[in-house]
Amino acid sequence: MAMLLVATTAAACGDGKDDGEKASAPKAPATIPELTKDPLTLSFIWFDWPPAKALEAFANAEYKKERPNATIKVNTVPNANWHDAMFTQFAARKTDFDIAILDSQHIGEAVTNGNILDLTDFVKENIDVAAYNPYLLAAYGQFPQAETGKRDENASLYGLPLLGDTWTMIYRKDLIGDKPPQTWDQMIAAAEKCQANNPGVSGLAFHQANGSDAAAVTYNTVNGVYGGNLWDSKNRKIDGVINDAAGQEAMDVLVNKMKPLTAKGSGNWFIDEVNAAVAQGKACIAFNWIAASGGLLDPKQSTLGTTREQILDKLGFATLPSQKTNLVPLGGMGMHVSAYSATANQAEALNFMEWFERADVQKKWAAAGGVPSRTDALESPEFLNAGPFNRVYTDSVPRMRDMWNVPEYARLVDIENTNVNAALNGAKKPKDALDDIAKEQQGVLDSSNRKGGGGL
Amino acid sequence: MSDPVPSTTDGSGQVASARPPARGRSPRLSDRGLAVAFISPAMLLLLAMSVFPLLWALYLSFTDYSATRGGPANFIGFGNYTAILTSAQVHTRALTTVIYVVGAVGLQTVLGFGIAYLISRRTRGRGVLTTLFLVPMMLSPVVVGLFWRFMLDAQFGVVNSMLGSLGLGQVEWLTRQRTALLSLIVVDTWQWTPFIMLIALAGLTAVPKYLYEAASIDRASEWFKFRTITLPLVWPLLLIAVMFRAIEAFRLFDLVYILTNGGPGVSTETLSFHIYKVAFLGFNTGTASAYGILMVLVVIVLTQLYLRYLNKLKEG
Repeated sequence: MAMLLVATTAAACGDGKDDGEKASAPKAPATIPELTKDPLTLSFIWFDWPPAKALEAFANAEYKKERPNATIKVNTVPNANWHDAMFTQFAARKTDFDIAILDSQHIGEAVTNGNILDLTDFVKENIDVAAYNPYLLAAYGQFPQAETGKRDENASLYGLPLLGDTWTMIYRKDLIGDKPPQTWDQMIAAAEKCQANNPGVSGLAFHQANGSDAAAVTYNTVNGVYGGNLWDSKNRKIDGVINDAAGQEAMDVLVNKMKPLTAKGSGNWFIDEVNAAVAQGKACIAFNWIAASGGLLDPKQSTLGTTREQILDKLGFATLPSQKTNLVPLGGMGMHVSAYSATANQAEALNFMEWFERADVQKKWAAAGGVPSRTDALESPEFLNAGPFNRVYTDSVPRMRDMWNVPEYARLVDIENTNVNAALNGAKKPKDALDDIAKEQQGVLDSSNRKGGGGL
Repeated sequence: MSDPVPSTTDGSGQVASARPPARGRSPRLSDRGLAVAFISPAMLLLLAMSVFPLLWALYLSFTDYSATRGGPANFIGFGNYTAILTSAQVHTRALTTVIYVVGAVGLQTVLGFGIAYLISRRTRGRGVLTTLFLVPMMLSPVVVGLFWRFMLDAQFGVVNSMLGSLGLGQVEWLTRQRTALLSLIVVDTWQWTPFIMLIALAGLTAVPKYLYEAASIDRASEWFKFRTITLPLVWPLLLIAVMFRAIEAFRLFDLVYILTNGGPGVSTETLSFHIYKVAFLGFNTGTASAYGILMVLVVIVLTQLYLRYLNKLKEG
């Protein structure tokens, strides 16, 4: 309650420029303003994971060559606090970061509240949009949300890609063979057989936790693969869409076919726990974000081998199996300039973004362990040779689907997370959980005009 | 002609010469002014950190204000309060909170009093034992939550490892509906039993020894002494400890956040955790403020009833 009061009081005591007005994102200049020659720290905010450390090291090594007076600082918070940490500062109309690294789904909330700059004119003048897969550019910057696989050329852009990501299937070559399963059914069958043949090793490991977007992404992935939809975006309809026949089948597959193949007590697993299970040789097949998979090849963290090569003899990385569709979840994040940052820092932020999206820099970022978004960088040897899972990302780009990036995202994802988690842990029947998701999420979308009790 | 320098007479009849005002004190600052000057920093801090936020939250609770969306705070009367009191989501969290408070505080009271009673009967090593028992209470709840989370992990936790070595099966402590709430109660009990123990020990130490001596002369049994001397004298103090613990447990947030994140599903979401979600996931500031005010009111009303009972007990 104290935190809430600090945020609201700060908002109330701020300049109040949004009061009484419909909030909208302020525009960034089309050209980069004159940069300061004084020492300047450009601050980012992200959650604590390896790419955050990689970004800080990479940017300080490379960007400083161009701007010696600039220092890059990537502030990190635990993943579970990521949204709160950014939006509580946005609420106070004062941020200690210049560039917010937002999940694609946070864009709607930030744009509607006027928290980030509108980069449309800046992008037109400074960024070669033809160098990107149109959907990648749209997913990390466009609002209103792009239709899956497409970009609306006339829509506004509020961010630029920082780190691309999707799920990779990690499989034990020594246990299920060199060739990865091609369909979801084959994958389940292979996991079942592997588990039966290898006592102590579970067939599957995937995200099931009720924090962040863990369990929700898992369900959304299976939903997509089985031909389901999360919502009808044009009519803002969820009830009757997510819980249609395809959605029910996906939930049934997840809870009744996949969950029994996971380790006991894995109902609160997320990125680190799945990686730990793979590294300790406790899972036949696992699903995880590519950007978080680098540690699997570290012999110090693995029991699968004493060298990277030995580990790679046992671990394979593949694109997700398909079933009724070949959709994969869109991960990754974009860079967005805080509307409350100082003018000199906003100018530096724009300059950094222009620099970061250059072809040569994107290749260097790929070599440093990042996942770029420019097509030329994605297909470059620098990227493809940097990790065994990078080819998976390049091949997955045309197959990506995102969640909702509406302002109500945080509540929608919480509803889905808690209900899928409940179904996975036996606290709800799968059908009831899915129907509750549909009903509660629809309630959130429909409650914008409700007087009182919003958020319950 | 009178003496220009006023003089006073002390109690012994001797004349004391008048003393000049203390050096450094402003002649314009009266005693009252000085008192205000000393008190005002604390009062201002209290107003800024406690009273103003409370009044501000009270005001927001009657509006549809959102901290992130900005815009005007539209007055909606008791809309937030009605929505909260009639929400099935809130009822579920309230039930979870009540079960947790009753379970945790009940267990802590029994254990805390039991340990205090045993310690009070010892003459040697009493100080060391008391200090050792107090250690959990001195740890941060976040730290406690984190290491219990590791200990209760179904796959590699030490608790399941011990159960395994005893030939018992694995228990999913944090991912099953019943065991998750039980785990929260156990962890809270581990941390806060020492608090009850400490207060009970103070009460036990204060029981006059002559009462026991008189009972011994009358050949009273240990149980009789406990029932008629120890318990009645310690009971009021114990009830105060229970009240403090119940208030604390009622607003539990940190352990839930670290251990279960409210799961599985929402089965361990307490009222405080739910307020956090309302306040920071959707930034429904007005609703969250009303929710917080209602929780404060519940605590105040229950505490008043409890204190009345305590007063009656004292009078009786």
